[in-house]
Amino acid sequence: MSLSDEPLRPEPEALLKEAGRANRGRLKIYLGMAPGVGKTYAMLEGARAATAAGRHVVVGIVETHGRAETAGLLQGLDVLPRQSISHRGHKLEEFDLAAALARRPDLILVDELAHTNAPDCLHPKRWQDVEELLFAGIDVHTTLNVQHLESLNDAVARITGVRVRETVPDRILEQADEVELVDLTPTELVERLHQGKVYAPELAGRALEKFFNPGNLAALREMALRRTADRVDDQVTGYMRAHGIEGPWPVNERILVCIGRDPASALAVRAGRRLADQLQAPWIVLHVERPGVPLTLPRDDDPAEVALKLAADLGARVERLAGRDLPGEILRFARRSNVSQIIIGRSRASWLKEILRRSLAHELVRRSNGIAVHVLTQQVASGGIPRLRLRLPAGWLPWVASMAAIGLAVLAGDVIPDLNRPGNISLLLLGAVLFSAVTFGRVVSAAASVVAFLAYDFFFLDPLLTFHITHWADFVTLLIFLVTAIVTGTLAGIVREQAEAAQARIKSTRALYDFSRRLGATFRLDDLLHAVAIHANRVADRQAMVLLVEGEALSISHAWPPEDQLDASGWAAARWAREHAEPAGYGTDTLPRSDWHFRPMRTKDAVIGVIGIRRTGEERGPSLEMLRSLDAVLDQAAVAIERIAFAEEAAKVEALHATDRLRNALLSSISHDLRTPLTSILGSATTLRQQDARLDEAARAELLSTIEQEADRLDRFVADLLNMTRLEAGALETKSDWIDVSDLLDSAIRRFAREPKAGMLRRKLPGSLPLIKADFVLLENVLVNLIDNALKHAAGATLIEVAARPAGHRLEIAVTDDGAGIAAAALPHLFDKFYSGDRSDSGRAGAGLGLSICKGLVEAMGGTIAVASPTETGRGARFAVSFAVPQQPVPAAELGAEA
Amino acid sequence: MTAPTRVLVVDDEPQILRFLRASLSASGFEVMEAATGAEALKHAAGDAPEIVVLDLGLPDMDGKEVIKKLREWSEVPIIVLSARAREAEKVEALDLGADDYVSKPFGIAELLARLRAALRHRMRRQGEVPVVKAGDLKVDVARRKVTRGETEIRLTPKEFDLLRLLALNAGKVVTHRQLLETVWGPAHRDDTAYLRVFIGQLRRKIDADDAAPSCIENAAGVGYRLRDEE
Repeated sequence: MSLSDEPLRPEPEALLKEAGRANRGRLKIYLGMAPGVGKTYAMLEGARAATAAGRHVVVGIVETHGRAETAGLLQGLDVLPRQSISHRGHKLEEFDLAAALARRPDLILVDELAHTNAPDCLHPKRWQDVEELLFAGIDVHTTLNVQHLESLNDAVARITGVRVRETVPDRILEQADEVELVDLTPTELVERLHQGKVYAPELAGRALEKFFNPGNLAALREMALRRTADRVDDQVTGYMRAHGIEGPWPVNERILVCIGRDPASALAVRAGRRLADQLQAPWIVLHVERPGVPLTLPRDDDPAEVALKLAADLGARVERLAGRDLPGEILRFARRSNVSQIIIGRSRASWLKEILRRSLAHELVRRSNGIAVHVLTQQVASGGIPRLRLRLPAGWLPWVASMAAIGLAVLAGDVIPDLNRPGNISLLLLGAVLFSAVTFGRVVSAAASVVAFLAYDFFFLDPLLTFHITHWADFVTLLIFLVTAIVTGTLAGIVREQAEAAQARIKSTRALYDFSRRLGATFRLDDLLHAVAIHANRVADRQAMVLLVEGEALSISHAWPPEDQLDASGWAAARWAREHAEPAGYGTDTLPRSDWHFRPMRTKDAVIGVIGIRRTGEERGPSLEMLRSLDAVLDQAAVAIERIAFAEEAAKVEALHATDRLRNALLSSISHDLRTPLTSILGSATTLRQQDARLDEAARAELLSTIEQEADRLDRFVADLLNMTRLEAGALETKSDWIDVSDLLDSAIRRFAREPKAGMLRRKLPGSLPLIKADFVLLENVLVNLIDNALKHAAGATLIEVAARPAGHRLEIAVTDDGAGIAAAALPHLFDKFYSGDRSDSGRAGAGLGLSICKGLVEAMGGTIAVASPTETGRGARFAVSFAVPQQPVPAAELGAEA
Repeated sequence: MTAPTRVLVVDDEPQILRFLRASLSASGFEVMEAATGAEALKHAAGDAPEIVVLDLGLPDMDGKEVIKKLREWSEVPIIVLSARAREAEKVEALDLGADDYVSKPFGIAELLARLRAALRHRMRRQGEVPVVKAGDLKVDVARRKVTRGETEIRLTPKEFDLLRLLALNAGKVVTHRQLLETVWGPAHRDDTAYLRVFIGQLRRKIDADDAAPSCIENAAGVGYRLRDEE
């Protein structure tokens, strides 16, 4: 991007970065070049000032190192008690993070940022404790010596000769809101040291010699000053960008660090970081591998993995790349990403190798057109490059079997005369070596080669049964045999190992495929989580557990093999992983002593749970390969869970729409059905009042009976509505009691006493009917509805028969009319809600609720309802309700004799 | 009747009070009104009504509570008003001592019929009437004799006991429980099936016309009532 393109408005990224800090606590680092410059002192002074200003300040942990002035400053401050941890019989005192978080002060002092915690603490490093405090919104003041910075680690080691083991990632310093340099000239510091103000006098001599010589101190001081100056520069540019101030931006540099399986990779990463800082440039760490090479599973002490982790710690963007023409791929990547400088680390190899293999660095330099290439070399420490990583087979079986194979070959050569020729013998023995190579791998095959070589000499070369060799030609043959055996054995062994690795990959790929297919077919969250637990167990080969966020808390959802308990540290790791959306537990920097390793399960906007695997034996951490597989599971699971959540959401919305439609239909029909009778009532009543004098007797009677009938209809309608809401809510209670059907018919017909068309109703009952069991009031309601329906809707009817009759083991109550009947197309929908056969806007009153309510009520009482149209007469319609006839209750003897 | 009958109407709905006042006054009652349970008890004590119409849903106390308190010292007939489909509530009120009920909504004719039946029953109790007439059905309680017109109807002892109880309360509802306890004994108070069977038999014997409604009226979910007028 050229200067002119640079926008004059605030850059969103820069603004976001500022906004992201809003909820975090503020971090202030007192940076010094060496112990004794007075960082702790300065920090305590600051704390006193803050306390005086009314802030709640707590001293989390401060080391006075027996310095009286420092201890004096502690007076009157609120000091947090340390937690004591016993480790292997020692009592260690550590900063109590949990207590600090519980106290929630405005500001907390945490001395010595680079400190390494005791093994049982939540985090291995104190800077992680500090991050946790910041995360919780607590301001932190801390102290740091420049030599502890990760990216300066090498430089400090070179200058002082002392390798500092406790390091702090550079990003901590970078993200600090404030850095205060506590400076002292080297002479003054040495002076203080001599006065015993830094270390207790008896320790001073040794420390002075090793570290505190003026040369070292000067170099360290320069580093401290430079880092502080860099930071200030950073803040200025950051501010200028955020506020859209035009400025001379640094040239747009971009740095690429290439790493591979070379111990110098870590060195290259640190150098890349320094260069990136100085140039204010973004940097990328590229992991390159030749195809075929990483077929064996990567391990945690692999230099490439170490360097990758370091790169992530130092804040690089990490990419991976594989290809046959590595230099070409790297340069293509570099050009695509606008990289201006490439850094590559390389171990200084032997001169022989230099000649034999043209290194990647050479190739890059030769082909890098316009891109600067930095090559960093590192002397290979003894055993530095793990070239052949041989795995010793377990148990004695492979050894015995290979020796037996060689024995067998020797025996065959001895016993079978036709085979006893030099060429045959060597092939037989070679066969035995190949057997052990293919079956047991390289180590065993190498051993077998040697044994075969000795056996060849001992049993088949003159003089026999000695290891002596008389002919030089035999010696040559033997040597060639040995070389052949080792080479073919090794090759066969490699082929076998690669086949194994490929097999493992195929297995995991297939498992993943199976898994994703299974997830695709799962529609219930519960089944899905079960599948996730099983699959996690399969890929990790360890007990796996899925925990889900329910409400606010995590709870164990599924585990495989099944388990529903988690120990305290397991819970702590699970919760931490969920809260911070980062892995926790063994193999991580948080609760590394826990027996569980938890990884967050993320959907697009939240952590919805965690997946854990359980440590087996004494392993230090899950392998990277395993974690990669687990992450694949997590990704798939998260997508599937989201899919299910969406489906549930959609179903809910659909249900809501359906309810909505129902409600609308109900409202419109209710308003119609309520208004019609109300209109008649109001109309009749007002007519009676105003026109009383002019109305004759008949008209008056007509109006009055209209009022009565319409009021009855309203009453029926209200009863229907009540029943419908009860049916809908599932709150309908039926009181099952014995019913005499004649009572039922009488009662229902009586309700139509005021109806003008009531004359059409005919009651039809045989002499005696069995009793049935049902709810009288509800069944009466059903019957009233059916009669009402017939009166209203049966066009041209002259007679409506209300009848009961036995039908097999059932009793049928039917309402039959002789009207025009119901259209065949309408029959199947008659009992649907809001279906009204002759419905139109001008249609007669009828919500279309009646029949659906009838059906609901009858079924709630255990009966059935059906419609037939036309009936046997070829006209009309018949609605029949039928109930099973139960065992009749009164024994005949009870009926008693007549008086 | 010379002096108008004093009726106490207890209901918290002003519209219902209004229409009851108008129609009951027109039917020759002297109407007193109360809108709460407490007011009702006060009127009942102070103004000695001859009959009470009581709505079960009152703002200050349950209508059943009013019945219980009234029955502690008064035998005044009580007609309960209650919504249809709340049969359990009616049965409770009747068991507590209410005389009869009317389901809301109701026509005034129905209410008047209940009021008259209850008042008649009260008088009967005072002056013991041994023969009950319902249409052309005559029940001679003392002589255990039932006749329709001139024909005597023969009944089993249980059938007669049943009819006797209904006849003694003619025009008033008798709950299932009251019938069962009196005729079959307390152990059978829930065996409504007996009732259905015997009432069915009884009807076949005493009803003149199968097609017309029976003279033993079914009060759905509550009990039975013998028609005693017209």
